Amino acid sequence: MIVTFRSLAYLAASLLFILSLRGLSTQQTARQGNRYGIIGMLVAVLVTAVALLIPGDGAGAAAPDKTVVGILGAALGLGCVVGALLASRVAMTSMPELVAILHSFVGAAAVLVGIATYLQPAGTMDAADRSAHLGEIYVGILVGAITFSGSLIAFGKLRGKIGSKPLLLPGRHLLNALALAACVALGVIFLNADVAWPEPGGSLLAAGMPALLAMTGLALLLGMHLVMAIGGGDMPVVVSLLNSYSGWSAAAAGFMLSNDLLIITGALVGSSGAILSIIMCRAMNRSIWNVILGGFGADSGAKPKSGAGGDVPAGKVNETTVDQVAELLLAARSVIIVPGYGMAVAQAQHPVKEISSLLIEKGIKVRYAIHPVAGRLPGHMNVLLAEADVSYDIVKEMDEVNEDFPSTDVVMVIGANDIVNPSAEDDPGSPIYGMPVLQVWKAARTVMLKRGMAAGYAGVDNPLCYLDNTLMLFGDAKQSVTKLLTALRA
Amino acid sequence: MKVGIPKEIYPHERRVAAVPETVHKIRKLGYEVVIEAGAGDAAAFTDATYAEAGATIVPNAVALYEAADIVLKVRQPIATAAGAHEVDLLKAGATIISFIWPAQNKELLERLAARKVTVLAMDAMPRITRAQRMDALSAMANIAGYRAVIEAAENFGRFFPGQVTAAGRVKPAQVFIVGAGVAGLAAIAAAKSLGAQVRAFDTRPAVREQVESLGGTFVEFTFNETGDGGGGYAKEMSEAYLAAEQAMIALHAKQSDIVISTALIPGKVAPPLITSGAVVAMAHGSVIVDMAAEQGGNCALTERDKVVEKFGVTIIGLTDLPSRMARQSSELYATVVFNLLKEVSAPEPTPGIAIKMEDEIHRGVLVLKGGELMWPPPKPPAPRAGGPTGAHKVLEAKPAHPPAPAAKGGGRLLGVLVSIALGAAVIFGPPQLIQHLTVFLLACVVGYHVIWNVTPALHTPLMSVTNAISGIIVIGGMLALFGGGTGSLALGAVAILVASINVAGGFLVTQRMLRMFRK
Repeated sequence: MIVTFRSLAYLAASLLFILSLRGLSTQQTARQGNRYGIIGMLVAVLVTAVALLIPGDGAGAAAPDKTVVGILGAALGLGCVVGALLASRVAMTSMPELVAILHSFVGAAAVLVGIATYLQPAGTMDAADRSAHLGEIYVGILVGAITFSGSLIAFGKLRGKIGSKPLLLPGRHLLNALALAACVALGVIFLNADVAWPEPGGSLLAAGMPALLAMTGLALLLGMHLVMAIGGGDMPVVVSLLNSYSGWSAAAAGFMLSNDLLIITGALVGSSGAILSIIMCRAMNRSIWNVILGGFGADSGAKPKSGAGGDVPAGKVNETTVDQVAELLLAARSVIIVPGYGMAVAQAQHPVKEISSLLIEKGIKVRYAIHPVAGRLPGHMNVLLAEADVSYDIVKEMDEVNEDFPSTDVVMVIGANDIVNPSAEDDPGSPIYGMPVLQVWKAARTVMLKRGMAAGYAGVDNPLCYLDNTLMLFGDAKQSVTKLLTALRA
Repeated sequence: MKVGIPKEIYPHERRVAAVPETVHKIRKLGYEVVIEAGAGDAAAFTDATYAEAGATIVPNAVALYEAADIVLKVRQPIATAAGAHEVDLLKAGATIISFIWPAQNKELLERLAARKVTVLAMDAMPRITRAQRMDALSAMANIAGYRAVIEAAENFGRFFPGQVTAAGRVKPAQVFIVGAGVAGLAAIAAAKSLGAQVRAFDTRPAVREQVESLGGTFVEFTFNETGDGGGGYAKEMSEAYLAAEQAMIALHAKQSDIVISTALIPGKVAPPLITSGAVVAMAHGSVIVDMAAEQGGNCALTERDKVVEKFGVTIIGLTDLPSRMARQSSELYATVVFNLLKEVSAPEPTPGIAIKMEDEIHRGVLVLKGGELMWPPPKPPAPRAGGPTGAHKVLEAKPAHPPAPAAKGGGRLLGVLVSIALGAAVIFGPPQLIQHLTVFLLACVVGYHVIWNVTPALHTPLMSVTNAISGIIVIGGMLALFGGGTGSLALGAVAILVASINVAGGFLVTQRMLRMFRK
């Protein structure tokens, strides 16, 4: 009875998760979607717990030990409290880091569950079933370990604890291939092992656990190496890829535990993360392989500029002052604000919002233009602007807004660089050539708020800075924007 | 070093080469400024305002040229009323920055050379991005284009915008612009903002986008030749082309109330685009503004510097359009001249002209160097898409991006993975595995279809919610916890802990984010 009930409940939970993802695709249904997800999760956890606790024909054949129940409650409770604290404390600007670290948790859990499953008595299984089961455990741990260490590195990079420049070891593709080959070899040893632990006097090769742990170590190194080789500018793709991996880890755990709910949910998350990565890659006009294997942004703009942009000298910029920018904004009829990672770092979204409200009050048409890969997380800028209470009606996607630039008087670029780089369109020698960008240079005037003349994450020089209709306002984004707000109010 | 600004003596010239604001800026470069009394009168800048900005007023031209080491002018030097020539008033070794038109003024060049002066011609500014803020031609053409529309409006006996009034319906004026350079584009913008319907034609297809960006309709004209002639200017076209072009323009002129022609080819007589026949065909009361009148005119019936009526059509051949808005054009001209002065000035503390021969801008404007002829400079680089658009000079967008291989790669990746998984299952698979794979693949397909339509703004919440959902692995931890064995128990407990952090954190942070999105 309980098995049937549990299966029905799992089906309901799966459907709720699908509805949840579906709901998250539009603004109107997003909150409802989140609620579906929460309900689905509650149903799944409760039903699993009930099935385990009630002795009978469920999975928990024996009457549950009091201490085990206590541990379950404590672990769940502690986890929820920590999670809630994390969620309520995190600044919206640190959202990418939070997401990355949460991915690593899923990876870690998958590894732990895998090893725990291996430690459990096999029960009655024939040889084919047993090797399939062992194979599932092995793959589950492999994916989980890569997700775990990769996400940790991504977290470090987003936090700025690890340099965002890609680390390119010599022969890194060979290293990756070797690591994978070693994993396969260890897998063969693992499948053919007779016992879990090496018995006294027995051969190490006869036991599964050393091979399993060796593979886990290798997979951890592999995950680190894969993400270390990816530059900071590609972080949105990496984060969504890791999102996908965390889903695959859960699905793999489902295979080893013969649990359909885990399989379905993991596959949902895995494919949604994969698609998100593809969407990101399209936004940068790059292939997913190019992102994973490319080591992009390593050349620090050392590449010589070719033909088309040749008459743009490096060095001569028109510096401007806060007062001039204020004057310019007040004289404009239409203004577009382009936020970038610099705005997120400086946490300048609130004063920026104040500026846009002020301009709107004065009858000036204001819009925000969001590039798909602005920031370090897909949709990062939207979240920040939403936090600052900017109406999403005036927040436009790249394709919606690109044709508006020629009829715009002033474009204010706040801490963005590569996504407004004209080389992407006119300089075939540029490493970002072909990436769709916001065509801000078509506006009558562009004001760039920038900390200094450093290149963007892609490490490419930006000829936009040297155009005649571009004015540069140097300084910390928050300070500049706050001063600008004061000047506008004066 | 003294910078001198004389009063312009060219007939009808009302502009002046410096305004009080630039006087102040020139002084900041380390120069002294002397200005001839009354130099700014016609442009509504009084001597008092110049004096306030720090300029020394001198009573007449002789005194000014005597004092000035660098002379800033608008028009090229000409003979004065007293019979002397402005060139002869220049100090030997002085520098003059002005419109010169060296190709049209050989005699003037010889005179200047004899005087051993250095001459920088504003009209010889190379058309490159860096030189835009020194581009006097674009700055003046912009004003001329605006003024052309104003002149047309004055001579046109009707409204520009269409109106429906109690007294009857008014059709909007039809304006046809020939030549969409800086002046043409400015005219489009001005006519459009007065409410007219605007069409524009240009031999360079690249300017279509610029015309459209200002709200004009680009008139298509297909003939196997493009008119891009280097450095962003138009070039001269073949005779057959001209004939076809004239026919096309006649057709459009007939349907228009106002024709503004701005077609010029550098150093050549203006192309005769509007034939007498085209004028005859136009309705009575129509207006033609021929902005090419100085170079012979685009219209066969244009009379230079005059407003005439032929066959009931008013033809305006004024050549002093910028000068008719002297205050505005002086402000802009003074700024571009100052920008050039700053560009060629040696850095402080010893101000003075320091021409760098290797610099494209310096080399381009240099006509005479201490009397030695330096003009013409080496050829400008090959034409670039975009053309002259003055303040709106933009980089051209590529119509299509190079194809993105991303999607295909992703699809192929998915395909390969699916085939491998299925193959493995069929070969090794116990029935249970095949069943699981079926569920897995179906779920992948569902995930795939559910996600494609997500709005980009929701990418982050989507990611955090999927993150929370992948915390479903907590169930795996629970199964491990109850699976038996101390090792399994400990590992399961830790798995539950981290996974539940994920679940709670993911859902709550999503909720927090979504609450912020508002309409």
